[in-house]
Amino acid sequence: MNELAGQGEEKLTPDEGHAGHSRLHRLLEPPILFSGIVLLLLAVIWAVSFNLVARDHLAAERTAAALAMDLADTYEAQVVRALREIDNTLKLVRYSLDTREAQAILDELRTKGLLPPELLFTVNITDANGNVIAGTHSATGENVTALDFFQRSREEDGMVIGAPRHEQSANEWRLTFSRRIADAGQRFAGVVAVSVHAGYFVSVYEEAVLGEHGVLGLVGTDGVFRVRRTGEAITAGTSVDYNALVTRGSADDAPTAVTPNPWDNTRRYTVARELYEFPLAIVVALSEAEQLVPAERIARTYMWRTALGSLLLATVVGLLGRLSWQLQKARTRAMKERVAYARRVEYLAYHDNLTELPNRALFSRLLIHGMQYARRYDKQLALLFLDLDHFKAINDSLGHEAGDELLQELGRRLRESVRESDVVARLGGDEFVILLPEISEDSQVQPVADKILAAVGSPFTLAGQEFRISVSIGIALYPHDGEDEQTLMKNADTAMYYAKERGRNNFQFYFEKLNSDSLERLALESGMRKALQSDEFRLFYQSKHDVRSGRVTGIEALLRWQHPDLGLIAPMLFIPLAEENGLIVPIGRWVFDTALRQNVAWQKEGLPRLSMAVNLTARQFLDDNLVLDIQNALRETGMAPELLELEITEMMIMHDMEVTIRILQELKQMGVRIAIDNFGTGYSSLAKLKGFPLDTLKIDGSFIHDVVSGSEGKSLTQAIIELGKSLGITVVAEGVESKEQVDYLRLHACDQYQGFYINKPMPAQEFADVVREQLQESAQPAPHP
Amino acid sequence: MTAIGWGLLLGLMLGTASAEVVVVVSSENPVQSLSHAELADIYLGRMHNFPNGESVVPVDQRENSPTHHEFYSRYLGRTPALIKAHWSKLIFSGRGRPPRTVTDDKAVAEFVAGNHHAIGYLTPELVDKRLRVVPIE
Repeated sequence: MNELAGQGEEKLTPDEGHAGHSRLHRLLEPPILFSGIVLLLLAVIWAVSFNLVARDHLAAERTAAALAMDLADTYEAQVVRALREIDNTLKLVRYSLDTREAQAILDELRTKGLLPPELLFTVNITDANGNVIAGTHSATGENVTALDFFQRSREEDGMVIGAPRHEQSANEWRLTFSRRIADAGQRFAGVVAVSVHAGYFVSVYEEAVLGEHGVLGLVGTDGVFRVRRTGEAITAGTSVDYNALVTRGSADDAPTAVTPNPWDNTRRYTVARELYEFPLAIVVALSEAEQLVPAERIARTYMWRTALGSLLLATVVGLLGRLSWQLQKARTRAMKERVAYARRVEYLAYHDNLTELPNRALFSRLLIHGMQYARRYDKQLALLFLDLDHFKAINDSLGHEAGDELLQELGRRLRESVRESDVVARLGGDEFVILLPEISEDSQVQPVADKILAAVGSPFTLAGQEFRISVSIGIALYPHDGEDEQTLMKNADTAMYYAKERGRNNFQFYFEKLNSDSLERLALESGMRKALQSDEFRLFYQSKHDVRSGRVTGIEALLRWQHPDLGLIAPMLFIPLAEENGLIVPIGRWVFDTALRQNVAWQKEGLPRLSMAVNLTARQFLDDNLVLDIQNALRETGMAPELLELEITEMMIMHDMEVTIRILQELKQMGVRIAIDNFGTGYSSLAKLKGFPLDTLKIDGSFIHDVVSGSEGKSLTQAIIELGKSLGITVVAEGVESKEQVDYLRLHACDQYQGFYINKPMPAQEFADVVREQLQESAQPAPHP
Repeated sequence: MTAIGWGLLLGLMLGTASAEVVVVVSSENPVQSLSHAELADIYLGRMHNFPNGESVVPVDQRENSPTHHEFYSRYLGRTPALIKAHWSKLIFSGRGRPPRTVTDDKAVAEFVAGNHHAIGYLTPELVDKRLRVVPIE
């Protein structure tokens, strides 16, 4: 068992040399492989998405910056043109002034269409004191001294761009552009001013282009916004850090930066460019948030799709992974089942399925292994051979199931009465063996044997009944009692029989003498016990013939033993033993039963009514149940009693005449015939024969053998024949082997004969065939043998 | 809100003051009628010819005159502020010029009578035989 376990462990030990391979293999295992692929795919998808988003973002930024720049270019041109137009008007009006009344001059210019459209532009002329002396919109009488453009125009020579003024009545911001007027002496004589609503300069704000949060505006170099528009809202007058807003000297094609505008803290692509001719800078700005909305929308779409794709991928791969995992699990389960099945098969092959103990095959291996071990380490081992006493009786009386239960319980008890390292095995039937390895002293075995006897001896409860059994144990020691498996087993077996001989329920060590003496006898005896059960006995039949006609007159049944190992065993080899141990009685019963049944069968098959002779031994003859047994046999087989002939020997009848006569008479009363077998060898008193109720005398074969050659045989044979005739009983010659012998017997009027000359003993079927043939031959008028 | 509010208030006040405004052309002008859209296009600088192909010269009145307000709200359905914004954009971007402005109804009558390409608006009292009222459908 240990050996087998050892082999199993060896198989499971991983191959250390392939560690690298196994790591690679583990990477290729579905769960890890799938996860790896998924992560890789996800990484690629997300990387591509982020990249696309980043590129789109960058493109959007560039577009926005470029757009701001373009818008700034256009706006700058528009502003410059508008300012020039205004300045030209100022210059024109100033130039036109002469001695005439200012209003007249203005009206003239207006009529000639030289002034900018009145709808938006107002032109006024003041005197040196700030009084409006002429105007396109009849504002005369107003005084503008307090206004900054007037103040500044008094000092400055160029066009003054006044601070924005909020006009309450129209709720709008107005810008005023002015130039000083000088008299002939170059002294300040007033101003000419053009005012326009500030919204004019940001009227090109297109929401479609600049968005709701873009900026269009003009900021003075003084940092004051002349106008600023975001969406629909137009403001003016707020101040900013001009230098921070307008980076002077920066190249026109410098990339537009995103800056948080100081006035509303909105991040914008801002272009602030100072005008060349005027103290103003244009401001064009695009809201970063607004400009990047489409890009962000696209980015969101990308992210959405990527997330969705990732989810889909994860789901699909997850499902695939799950499938593969289940497949692998199923495969593993199948593998485990197969291994378990193989283990079970192996277990069954090496274990007795009733008691779960090792069987003969495994025990044999373990024993050999144990012997090898003991030989190597110079140890002893003990082999205990156990056989239950009267197990057959228990089996027969309680049934097989109870018997099986008993064996199971017995197995348990045996297992419990030895150490873990000892081996208990069941060889079959009620035979158990126990191997005690590593015995250092013979004396160590005895306590174990005692323990076993005690364990077996305690009461069993089977089928609700309590009873006791016992066991006989034979012990052989290795190497003393045998150095190979067979010898050791045989000697333990012998010792076991010896224990049986010694009254059962004990143990015996093997000793040399056991073998020489009684080995054969014991073996034979043990075999004989089983022979009846396993149907090893055979009956052979030999015919008896009428000497004159040669016709078949009867049959003699002869016992043989078909031994499984020794072959066919002749009766003289085992009958004496059977006599001794009493087995002859059941064997005899079987013989009666079989022979009688056979005879009846033959009669039914059409063979003539022939007598059936059966031999009785002394022990049978004296058995109290003889008459009963014969009656039973006759009744059960239905054979006519007069066809049964019991053959007894001379010696048997001479032993105790009174008893013999009583038995013979009982038998005769049943109608059975009595024959004396082997007559002539017993030196019995011929005279005494008269006292017995005999029917037949059978002359021993040794006399017949001599009838042709020796005179002694002739005379004895002749005497017996005559005796028989005188007593009126049939005389049969046994062992007839030649025609000469038959001729002699016929000459001396012997009644019947049997022997090899006509038929040797044969098995039933063969015998029937031969007799049938002979019957056919003798039915024809053929020459007789 | 305030700009529109003020405008409306002003309009209502002036509207009640001025009874009516008619569109006129020179009696020599063959134009019999104009649609609202055509009139609007002419005054917003989108159309430079009469439907018959003759060039058109619109004449406007001053922004603060009662007739101006009446005309724009009645025939063009636009407030002065919107008109101003419209022309601001066109002028600033250099894509147009508003109609020339004359001082009052009389000036309009004189201008239109003297120019058979002209079209103008004025109070009906001043329509004489040199002028013809163009129905706006």
